[in-house]
Amino acid sequence: MGKNELLQGTLDMLILKAISLGPLHGYGVLLRIQQISGGALEILQGSLYPALYRLETRGWIGSEWGESENKRRAKYYRLTAAGRRRLREETEQWNRMTSAIASVLNAVSEES
Amino acid sequence: MMPRIRAFFSALLRRRRMEDDLSTELRFHMDAYVDDLVARGTTRAEAMRRARIEFGPVEEVREECREARGLRWPDELRRNVRYALRVFRRSPAFTIAALATLALCIGANTAIFSVVDAVLLRPLPYPQPERLTMLGASMMRKGGKTGDPTLSHTGENWFLVRDHASALEAAAFSGATGVNLAAGGKAEYVRQQRVSAGFFHVLGLGPALGREFTRDEDRPGGASVAVLSHALWTRAFHGDASVLGRPIMLRGEPYTVIGVMPAGLRTSTPADVWTPLRATTNGEGGGWNYGIVARLAPGVSWAQAEAQARILGEEAGRNLHRSAGLPPDVAVSMYLVPFQSGLTGEVRTPLYVIWAAVGAVLLIGCVNVAGLLLAQGASRTREVATRIALGGGRAAVVRQLLTESLVLALCGSALGVLFGYAGVLALRRYALETMGIWQSIELNARVLGATGAMALLTSVLFGLIPALEAARTNLRPLLDRGGARGSSGGPRRWPRRVLVVGEVALSFVLLVTAGLLVRTFVNLMSLRPGFDSSGVLTAKISLLDARYSTSREVNRLMDQSLARIRALPGVTGAAAGLGLPYERPLNDGLRVLDGPGADGEFHSVNLFYITPEYFRVLRIPLLRGREIADSDGPRTAPVAVVNEAFVERFLRGQDALGTHIGGEKDSRAIVGVVGTVQQRDDWAAFVAPAPRPAVYIPVTQTEDGFLQLVHTWFEPSWIVRTSGAPQSLIPGVTRAVEAVDPLLPFAGFQTMDEVRAGSMRAQRFHAILAGTLGALALLLAAVGIYGLVANSVAARTRELGIRMALGATNGSAMGGVIAEGVGLALAGVAAGIGLSALAAGLLRSMMFGVSATDAATLAATACGLLLVAAAASFVPALRITRLNPAETLRHE
Repeated sequence: MGKNELLQGTLDMLILKAISLGPLHGYGVLLRIQQISGGALEILQGSLYPALYRLETRGWIGSEWGESENKRRAKYYRLTAAGRRRLREETEQWNRMTSAIASVLNAVSEES
Repeated sequence: MMPRIRAFFSALLRRRRMEDDLSTELRFHMDAYVDDLVARGTTRAEAMRRARIEFGPVEEVREECREARGLRWPDELRRNVRYALRVFRRSPAFTIAALATLALCIGANTAIFSVVDAVLLRPLPYPQPERLTMLGASMMRKGGKTGDPTLSHTGENWFLVRDHASALEAAAFSGATGVNLAAGGKAEYVRQQRVSAGFFHVLGLGPALGREFTRDEDRPGGASVAVLSHALWTRAFHGDASVLGRPIMLRGEPYTVIGVMPAGLRTSTPADVWTPLRATTNGEGGGWNYGIVARLAPGVSWAQAEAQARILGEEAGRNLHRSAGLPPDVAVSMYLVPFQSGLTGEVRTPLYVIWAAVGAVLLIGCVNVAGLLLAQGASRTREVATRIALGGGRAAVVRQLLTESLVLALCGSALGVLFGYAGVLALRRYALETMGIWQSIELNARVLGATGAMALLTSVLFGLIPALEAARTNLRPLLDRGGARGSSGGPRRWPRRVLVVGEVALSFVLLVTAGLLVRTFVNLMSLRPGFDSSGVLTAKISLLDARYSTSREVNRLMDQSLARIRALPGVTGAAAGLGLPYERPLNDGLRVLDGPGADGEFHSVNLFYITPEYFRVLRIPLLRGREIADSDGPRTAPVAVVNEAFVERFLRGQDALGTHIGGEKDSRAIVGVVGTVQQRDDWAAFVAPAPRPAVYIPVTQTEDGFLQLVHTWFEPSWIVRTSGAPQSLIPGVTRAVEAVDPLLPFAGFQTMDEVRAGSMRAQRFHAILAGTLGALALLLAAVGIYGLVANSVAARTRELGIRMALGATNGSAMGGVIAEGVGLALAGVAAGIGLSALAAGLLRSMMFGVSATDAATLAATACGLLLVAAAASFVPALRITRLNPAETLRHE
């Protein structure tokens, strides 16, 4: 997996996680994901906004207009109750899957 | 699900804002990123370049955002509409042709639908109108045919219904009669309707002032009371509420005003004043002269009421067998007729015919526009193919093309509503009086809704075939070979051919209808009137007046007023009489009393009473014997003059002069025979005038009772012949009668030419309307054939070029093309003949002097249509002569 590529569906989860730490504007979401992942995950900038709109349409995140650090009008996203539930489900599912995959990958040949 | 729907709608509603927000948000993102990059040491220009590259195509992102909001569908629609408008701008000729076609067709339909709405759809202006019914009756001889149904009843029938119909609250009414109202020293001619007690209650309308009639007032000898219409109350009494309890003089008798009805109320007929019906079982009540309206009693279903009407019908039959001498093998049945259809019965058939005709015009219009779209589709094949090849999707192409149709239909309908409004204005002037429609003709929500539905329907009708046709496009050959260069002419051609055949067939039916109706009108116009209608002024006066209840008074009035009228300058003759030519006269039963014709049978004849100059003033020729003379008086021998039709029908070759005719007791000698004039045969609006046996008797030899009876139904006419313009006599004639009786108002003046035209008004209206629609259909069909052939020539340019290069002549090439157009027209005519047979059933009752399946009309229409088709094919075929084979082939 290249640096710029994300698994299908994981972007939504990452966005929910990023926002769960506190309201963010779109650019802030991008920065936070990069920051938390230590730069390992880079998101295609163009794909961020359709994802945000999708999440908002589904009612997992809400938005309101606020003022950014440099005094400009920016749209801030926050997690809704439904979004919080969704994040929990997705995290559990992700963990189950990664541990399953990990156990497959960690399996040791009986002959070796 | 809910938040998604909410988001969709709020996004749709706040579309503009969402777009602005999205722009702001994206700009903020870019700026912030650029700022960060600059802060890290990049130059601003380089930072902006990188930001743009890393962000990706902004428009695509925006599109994906919209899609995430679920805004794809409205977006596509917007895009499609915008694209459609661009297509229309690019091909103005096509657009104008299509819009004009749709506007005319939809306009015509909108206008006619406004009449349909007024007559058939709009509920009557009474509470719960769907529970109102009229009582119909018909008689049937056992094993024979059912007689004509009637909505009129005898007094006996009415009492039966009133006293025994527990499922119905019933009331009876008469038609309106013109009478003289005198109040406050002024005389006015008003329309009086007599109604039974409870009539307004049945309709569900209470008086605005006072009360309606009681059962006591509604019986012979009851108090003379009257209820005024709101209009008359304001006009004659200035809306004065103290009018209640005041006397008015109605037909020369005092009546007490007891009520005023609310404004705008209308019963079965226009009326100014209502008085109690006072039904009887003899005289007027012995005939079928009362209408019965009823409201279903609370909780009663139509089926229950119907069942009761059937039982009452059997009872009425037993009564008629006993009292009216109805033969025992004739059964009477009674049934319910919903009030609305009862009131509009006469106009239904012509209205259905007209509605079907405009519907056919709309179909033809759709076919034409479909043809135009198919032709346009052919020239757009490459565009469509390219879109499909680029992954546009066939469904998307169909949606795009249907959107174009819809936009076209909506624009066409908008224009159509304008045309329709013009049509409504015209119909208000002509249809109201011709068809006796009394609900206003208007463009209301229902009519506009129907127009909108029509737009949607037509867009699918004319848009679907071309759209599917385009989506079938086979990509490879088109993209390979560059579109319209195939020698076979590109896409399939049969859908368009089928459309043209259908359109010719429908036009054929419309033209045949128009032809038949025009011939009906011409036949009526060319009927020999039997008299000279020019230069004659007529005026009616109601003698349903207590002061004119005797023959002596009537004669005095006529003698004195006619003497004054004869003295007016320009008057060459004046007469009075009951009944004018072309009008529906009094019917009476008479027997021939001697000679071979004396078979004891009563014959139905038209009966006129006249003053001596009647025949001379109307210039009805005297064929034998003498006219009615001044010397024929109450004390001389009773005489009569009959017309030629009477002699032919009833006298079986015997000498008319000296033959006696009469009713039960009386006897008159025939002293003269005059020519036959046209008379209307019936009350019905669509019965043509016809010559009928007639008997004329001197007014001096009439009895008081006879005059009183006939004056309740008919008004005598004053007839004046002048050497100048008839209208100019009106003031003089008015003064002449005023001098004799200042309280006797004229009911209205008409020249004899107007009376004649009035009797054919309906047929004239139908002929003009059908002619207009037929012409429109012919034009559309011609345009359709022209378009098809023109297209065929254009698409086959290369093939024709090759053929001509190989030695084909202009003539043979053109012949082939024209044959196609004419061949399709032939097929259309053949189909049209079949359709006409179906239409004939509907038209039969509207014909006069021509059969609804008249072969000459069919043949003439077929020839005319084929000629037009040939011409419409010839014009585009001429283009072939301008083809240059070398030029055409060089394009290979």
